[in-house]
Amino acid sequence: MIAFAKQKAREGKLVKVEVEYDETIKKLNITGDFFLHPEDVLDEIEKSMIGLEKDVSFDTLVFKIHEIAGDARMIGISPESLALVIREALK
Amino acid sequence: MKWRVVGLETHDAYFNMALDEAISEGVRAGSSPPTIRFYNWEPNAVSIGYFQSMRDEVNLPMCRELGVDRIRRWTGGGAVYHDFEGEITYSVIAPVGIFPKNIIESYRLICGWLVSGLVSLGIEAEFMPVNDILVKNKKISGSAQTRRGGILLQHGTLLYGLDLKTMFSVLNVSRQKITDKMIKSAEERVTCVQLHSDAGKREVYEALICAFTEGKDYEVGTWNEGELARARELAEGKYRSDEWMYLR
Repeated sequence: MIAFAKQKAREGKLVKVEVEYDETIKKLNITGDFFLHPEDVLDEIEKSMIGLEKDVSFDTLVFKIHEIAGDARMIGISPESLALVIREALK
Repeated sequence: MKWRVVGLETHDAYFNMALDEAISEGVRAGSSPPTIRFYNWEPNAVSIGYFQSMRDEVNLPMCRELGVDRIRRWTGGGAVYHDFEGEITYSVIAPVGIFPKNIIESYRLICGWLVSGLVSLGIEAEFMPVNDILVKNKKISGSAQTRRGGILLQHGTLLYGLDLKTMFSVLNVSRQKITDKMIKSAEERVTCVQLHSDAGKREVYEALICAFTEGKDYEVGTWNEGELARARELAEGKYRSDEWMYLR
């Protein structure tokens, strides 16, 4: 199934998530008007979500995003706000 | 360090964005000097941020009807309507090491040049983090930045005039019908030079040139053949391609 969620992050920018999943996440696409330096980190974050169980916890998502993002600089979003929208899409 | 300043030019969206990338490559390779440029967009265009979805953000049928180009930028941020008459765009491209490491502070520095230009025209402008410039609490300018391969590229727009109706018609601001209320609400949040000054667009541009070059070692220049060739290649091969356009 394909699900969609969008939220304005607490940090100010809009985040939209489209996720394809059955028991696990098959594909995930994050879009929005935020900034992320370096930009390629978003592809890595999306890839890291593939294979996670559909009821993956918020904390696991945050941990994964932090792990991938490392020193990347997010503006208008945060690992927590990204995880929130992903969790919302998986409801 | 000597800057190159390239005065106001007009190109289509694809060449404009391709030039920014070609210059970034040139600065990185040492074949281009750090550059400040000013430009217009013709035809009018909508640019979307690197992380946005073209289908989500842009009313594609309306753009086709109005002859408005669509392009994905190399920088993040939101969708922008670039109106030939109503806007002046700038780019600053230079080694990242000459700017503050803190991203907000680097926005503050470069946006500060634009603020100075507006102040010289008698417009009380102020920088508003992350990347906006406000006049009387309304947005008059927005900028976006990327830092790739040791090069900082910041480009941004200054609203000279406002055509909110066209802007709303080409952006998927809302699926609702464009209402007077919506226009009024936007007028409360966005402003333009014409609402604060009698200065003509040329005068505004000249004020910007003065402010951006103040205290800098610079020369007025143009593009070298290598930059133009690379920009043409990027415009056709990347920025016009569906693969790039619909990347997300």
